[in-house]
Amino acid sequence: MAEQYKSLHPVKYYRDYLSHNIRPDGRVFDTFRPVILNTGSIDTADGSALSKLGQTTVVCGIKAELCKPKAESPNKGFVVPNLDLPPLCSPKFRPGPPSDQAQVLSQLINDIIENSQCIDLTDLCIFPDKLAWCLYIDFICLDFDGSVVDACIIALVGALKTVKLPFVDYDAALDNIQVNLENTRPLPVHSIPVSTTFAIFDDKIILADPTVEEENLCTGIIVIVLKDDELCCVHKPGGSPLSSDELLGCIEKSKKKVPLMRDLLKTALQDVG
Amino acid sequence: MEATKYRCNLDILSRPDGSVLFCEGKTTVIAGLYGPVEVKIQKAHIDKATVDCHYRPKSGLPGVEDRLYESFIRNTCETSLVAALFPRSAVLIMLQEMQNDKQLISCAVNAACMACLSSGIDMKFMFGAVTAFLTKDEELVLTPPIIDKDIKALFVIVFESTEGRILACHTEGCFSKEQFNQAVSICEAQCINVFKFFKQTLLDNK
Repeated sequence: MAEQYKSLHPVKYYRDYLSHNIRPDGRVFDTFRPVILNTGSIDTADGSALSKLGQTTVVCGIKAELCKPKAESPNKGFVVPNLDLPPLCSPKFRPGPPSDQAQVLSQLINDIIENSQCIDLTDLCIFPDKLAWCLYIDFICLDFDGSVVDACIIALVGALKTVKLPFVDYDAALDNIQVNLENTRPLPVHSIPVSTTFAIFDDKIILADPTVEEENLCTGIIVIVLKDDELCCVHKPGGSPLSSDELLGCIEKSKKKVPLMRDLLKTALQDVG
Repeated sequence: MEATKYRCNLDILSRPDGSVLFCEGKTTVIAGLYGPVEVKIQKAHIDKATVDCHYRPKSGLPGVEDRLYESFIRNTCETSLVAALFPRSAVLIMLQEMQNDKQLISCAVNAACMACLSSGIDMKFMFGAVTAFLTKDEELVLTPPIIDKDIKALFVIVFESTEGRILACHTEGCFSKEQFNQAVSICEAQCINVFKFFKQTLLDNK
């Protein structure tokens, strides 16, 4: 009976649950879903990780390529993140060129990488104005069940920590590149961004870590990214208006997630060594 | 603190239902609004109008970066417009960047609001955006610093006009919670001026 009720009156179904301070999946408003992180999952990539946030699954692979730095920033490499939302992950997406949502989320992830300064682009430079690394960070969503940005950021940090860049000998006089694949170095990761998504239901109830059903029914989304004690992104693209106290409350709630993610990352990286 | 100067010309284009040239400091955006108009079947909603926003940079084609701005402005307008009045139709908002002095997003949001007002489409409330800058010396200012490197963080906060709550928020760079709180309060104070300017402009153009 509950199943039919849910499909006929989805909003009412959620309201009935939320009026009893519980969500249909058994969580209270500000609990997060369990997180799984597996690092170094893909052998052929230079760094990789798989993260699960409840049902949401994202694979992240990092591929390093050699390229020439831009003339205006000769001592900087490049980072190119891209999120793929294939039709496999949700019936919302169709095959073809990247959807608007995929482009918006890719750009948001790019902004988070830039703002959190987790990668120093000068670390990617091999020889100024001649040679630098370009990191292609590809995310593939396998199961789209809400809070995809959170899952991407967890996978991103996991994958960055496993990146091993080969040593490159560059002879500027002869323009000769020699890549030493046996001798590798890890990529320095300067900070650990932790992202938290909130959904606003019925203009007032704030749900942490929403599932895709909650995201579809809710009237607004907030993404907050913390690095250590600092904030590096408070993204609220429209939706229900909130008072500044409510917004600060969300920031406070997202702070709880930082130590959890740090422990998770430590455990996940232990077996990789 | 020097106040940001706002300037605005209403109905500068003849074809759109509402159009505006909006200047915020040295940043300028042209906005045009068509609506309600016909909508593609795939995009139509049976219970409300589809709000679509297209942003064009001053040179070249819009890229992935601009998609984020588009979605930001579209969601903001969607909340503000009474979309339920026009089911199975679309409201199109076109934005053309003319000049950018680091306040582009707030200027585009304000231009979009003025375009909505000038077209006379039904709205639940007005929305106004303010950009605040956190400088390297940990100082919050509303006028853009001349040198890019002096900016440690940037906040774009959009408020609604009825209760002054936060409608949308976009940030760049790193900052503490207290700095964010401060930025919200100075933007809130400035936003009152933005709404005053909107009302004055509409009165002058009667």
